[in-house]
Formats: sequence, structure tokens, C-alpha cells
Amino acid sequence: MWKRIEQWNREVEAEQLAVLRDPTLVDQVPAGCRRFFARKLAEMSPAEREDLYQFSSSISTSAALLALLKLCVVLTVLGFMVNLAFLPDTPWWQTVVAANAIGAAVAMALAGVWFNYGKIVRAKGKALVTIVGLGLVGGLFGAMTAMFERGHAWSVLLDKLPKIVVTVTLVVTALVAIPVIVVAVLRNRHYQIQAEQLKRDAEQERLARELSETQLRLLRAQIEPHFLFNTLGAVQQLAEQGAPRAAELTSHLIDFLRASMSDMRCEQVALATEFGLVESYLRVMQIRMGERLRYTVDVPEALANTRVPSMLVLTLAENAIKHGIEPSLHGGEITVTARDDGGTIRIAVRDSGVGMSDTPGAGTGLENVRHRLRLAYGEGTCLLLSEAEPGLLAEIAIPCKEQA
Amino acid sequence: MSVKVLVAEDEPLMRERLLGMLATAWPEAQVVAAPENGVDAWDAWLEHEPQVVFLDIRMPGMSGIEVAERIGRRSHVVFVTAYDQYAVDAFDAGAVDYLLKPIQPGRLDKALVRLREKLDARPDDVSDVVRQVKDASPEPKREKLKWLKASVGKQIRLIDVEEVLFFQADTKYTRVVLADSEALVRIPLKDLVGGLDAGRFWQIHRGTLVNVNAIRAAERVDAERMQVLLRGSDEVLPVSRSFTHLFRE
Repeated sequence: MWKRIEQWNREVEAEQLAVLRDPTLVDQVPAGCRRFFARKLAEMSPAEREDLYQFSSSISTSAALLALLKLCVVLTVLGFMVNLAFLPDTPWWQTVVAANAIGAAVAMALAGVWFNYGKIVRAKGKALVTIVGLGLVGGLFGAMTAMFERGHAWSVLLDKLPKIVVTVTLVVTALVAIPVIVVAVLRNRHYQIQAEQLKRDAEQERLARELSETQLRLLRAQIEPHFLFNTLGAVQQLAEQGAPRAAELTSHLIDFLRASMSDMRCEQVALATEFGLVESYLRVMQIRMGERLRYTVDVPEALANTRVPSMLVLTLAENAIKHGIEPSLHGGEITVTARDDGGTIRIAVRDSGVGMSDTPGAGTGLENVRHRLRLAYGEGTCLLLSEAEPGLLAEIAIPCKEQA
Repeated sequence: MSVKVLVAEDEPLMRERLLGMLATAWPEAQVVAAPENGVDAWDAWLEHEPQVVFLDIRMPGMSGIEVAERIGRRSHVVFVTAYDQYAVDAFDAGAVDYLLKPIQPGRLDKALVRLREKLDARPDDVSDVVRQVKDASPEPKREKLKWLKASVGKQIRLIDVEEVLFFQADTKYTRVVLADSEALVRIPLKDLVGGLDAGRFWQIHRGTLVNVNAIRAAERVDAERMQVLLRGSDEVLPVSRSFTHLFRE
């Protein structure tokens, strides 16, 4: 018999924990009483469920029973003391039972509200009425029992009715309803603060992750092995020929690597810095590609100190080389410009290469640019691509920000 | 005995480097052409039919892989790449020779030793490796040409490529022949080749691409030469020696 109860208890405990973890499991719980309670659990908010799960999984039935027993002992002692101090005429067992009953009721109410504060906070009035109503029913029932036991007439009850109602209402409101509602409100506030904190943390973490991913992508894109190996090959060839351009190419490569490595660590750089980086990249490419590449890079003096997200223009220039000029049989020209359009900076990278239709894969670098723009300026900015006959025009428009 | 060699590489300095190294390491090599893109590489191959071809993988017009596919087992191919791991893996698995840029002299010598050993044998079949590399390539597949614009008098005609019976090179232009008419487009044939489906349009001559569906028959002219007869046209197209294998049973 005991074994079967224990077995049943273990089953119920396991299934309730399972439902707390995954509320969709509720339909697999055996119908009846167990299903009813499981459904209650499934209807709680995720945070409430998480709380209850933590609680239930850390405290087993035996531990809970032990705690209840301790409470019982304390309440019994309390009942005795009340009996001795205030009600010497009442039999001691009555005050002990009463103390246990009241204590257990308050404890259960508080425990219930501890895990189910959401509902009570949403309908404070209803909770108050329910608690006071139940108290009144109990009070009247008790009063009636007492009347009959002492053989009083109905009229006595009617006489005392207003006094009973007022007393019961006040006592229940003060002892049960107010603590319950206060606990519920406090718990709920705590929950909301916690939930908001969690949300903020998650958002911050997401942004940080996106930023580092973008930087990683940039890193990969910049130090592209293809670029490095081909450039080093060109340097080697020039050096073996004893051409003075070997030193020139090397110094452009150094400029490019140094600038890109330091820019990669900054979110924003001055427009002049960014255009300098783009120019050192194009210089390297020009020596490598020879007549197939021509370029101009032009930043107006007035915009030199404007802050822009680092390496964006470079990505556009690389894109123009990779998907515009390199695949083109006869090469082409790249023009990089910036202009102030009434508080908006328009940066354009135009290439006269093969254009959009021939390069369906031109997406990844540009997707990266769009992403960075969104991170830096929200949805207000954009990257515009248009056919340039021949070639492609990539333009970004960003709000003007002067260096502080 | 000199060996005809073709070197295709799009960057001038890298091209110079490979040519310079070849001149020292392999004096018998006679470089017949050093084109700077895939289209010219294929055209130069058709012109010279070299025994050995060095092909850069990334080139404009046609990639080295696509050129190798067209060459088939008619030349010994050595690929050249800066960093195309997907390709290098496939080459290693298929025992196809390749050089990594920047090319180091020792590595080139090794490749040349292997080449000289194989020179008299039939070139290795690289088609499996080529297919594998094409599948693994992160670069998007080049869109095939669907329409051609040709000016006929004052009009611009839009020609569905599928309806073309054959293309014929005409100096800087290409003659496009259809069942009921013909037009001239302002693109040299060699530039068109890369945009056409190689399975649909067979190259039977340096200057001729024919729609497979338009071929009625191929006939032998003498021991070396063949010609193609067409459906929907009375023209007879000569097949050059290096393409007669297309019609062998």
C-alpha cells in the first residue's frame, strides 16, 4: 500500500516537472485530477513555470512534508501560548487546532501566491472579494456552529450578524487578503524587473555578437588569402626584375594592411582615413592588374573629418574589383566619390565592369555593408545599387557626423 | 625537340613570372601564346593546339576550369591558383597537377619533371576533377546566354539562342544562322563561346559552333577531314582535325 502511494507520488511529480519544462506535454497526462492540475501548470507564464520548476525540482515531497511538520510544531506551540495567555477557559486542543488551521491557510495562501502572482495582480479586486467572501462564509458557518452548540436562538445570531461580518471582514482582509496581494504585487514587480533585465541582456548580447561577427567577417574579407598571395607574387616578380616598383608595391601593401588592421578595431573612422585605405587598396590592385584597372578616389576637403563606419567603402571597392572589373574581359574604371547632400553624405563607388546581371553572387559583401549600416544608423540608411551602363553604381547615404 | 606550351594568366606580373621561370627551367618549352583571359586562352588553344597548358583558375571570360573542360584529353593541363582550397582538394584527390601562386622555383621544377615523363603519353582525363571543382566552386554559375541582339538594317532583332543553327566567326563579328534567316552580331565568336552551353553548341572548328539539334549527319572527306551536314540549311560545315573525335563512334 505504502509502496503504491510512493510510486504514484513519484509519477505525479515527474509528470508535473515534465509539464513545467514543456507545457505541450499536458495532453499526455492521464485524464482526471492529474490532467486538471497539469493544465493549471501549463497555463502559467514561462517565468512562473521556470520559478516553480526550480522550486519543485530542488525540493522533494519528503522535504516538503518535513517543512510542513516543522510549521505544525511551531503553530502548536503558538496555540498553547495563546491558550495560556488569553483564553484560559477554552480547552487547549481547540486553540491548538485553530492555530494550526489558520497558520496552514495563510501558509498555503502565500505559497500559492508566490507561484501564481500573475493572476492575482491582474485582478486584485477579484482576489480581494474572493478571499473576503470565503472568509465570510467560514465565519458565518463557525458562528452558526457555536450558536447551535450553546443552544442560542436564531435571533441572537441575527443580532450579532453585523458585528460578525465586520470583524470577519477586517480580520480576513488584514491577515490574509492584504498580505496575499502585497506579496503578489512585490513578486510581480520583481518578475517584471527581472524579465526586462533579461530582455536587455539578450538584446545587448545579440548586438555584441553581431558586431563581433561583422568584425570577423571583415577580418576574413580583408586578409583574403587570394589577395595576399597574388600581391606577394607580384612583389616577388618585381623584386626579381629589380624593378623600383617592387618597393612601391610593398609600401602600398604595407599602407593597406596597417590601415585595415587599425580600422578594423574602430567602429567609425574619418572619411579621409577610409578613402585613404581604399586608395592604398586600389593602388595595389592597379599595379597587379596593369592597364586593366584605372581609378579615381576623391574626397572633398569639407567632408574629410566626417565619421563613417569603418571599411564600408573598402568593401564596396573590393566588390567592384571582384565582381565588376576582374570578370570583365577588358577591365574598366573605378570611381570613388563623396558629396554632402544637405546633411546626408552620399558615398558612391562606380565601376565600369560587367554590371549587375552577370554577377548574381555579388551579394555577400554587400549584405555585410547593409548589415553594418543597419547596426550603425538603424533602418534609415540604405545601400542603393543601380546599373551604370556600363557597370554598376553602389551608393550609400548616411547622416553627417563631424568628429568631436 | 621543342614543346608547344600555352600560359593563361590574367595578372601581368604573375604571367611574366611564370614565363620567366619557364624560360630558365625548361628551355625546350616554346610558349606559343600567353593570353590574359579564358576566352583568349581557348581561342589560342584552338589556334596552336599546344601539348602543355598552364591555366590560372580565376580568369575573366572563362575560368581555367572551363577552358580545361573544353580542352579535354588533348593537352597536358597544369592548373595555377593562389588559394582555391576547394579546387586544390579536388586536384589532390584526382592526382591533377597544380601550382600555388606565388610559384616557388622548386615546386615548378617538380611539376616539370612529372610533365616531361608524361609528355609522350595520352594526357590524363581531368573531366571528373573538373566537374568536382565546378560543383564545389563558391563562385556562382555563369548564366548561359538566352537571347542575342543583332542589328538587321534599322531594326534590332532579338534572337532566341535555341533557334540558332550555327555560329560562324567573321573577323570581329559573328554570323548567326537560323533556319529562315541570318544576322550578324557585333561580338567576336570567341567571346560568345563561354556564354553558350557546351553540350548544346558543339565547337567543330575554331570559327564554328553548331547546334547539336541541327546536325543531320557528319561525313568523312578524306583520312583527316570531316564535314557536318545540317537540317534546315544547305551549308556544309568543315570539322577541324581536333574536333573529329566528337563524331567518332
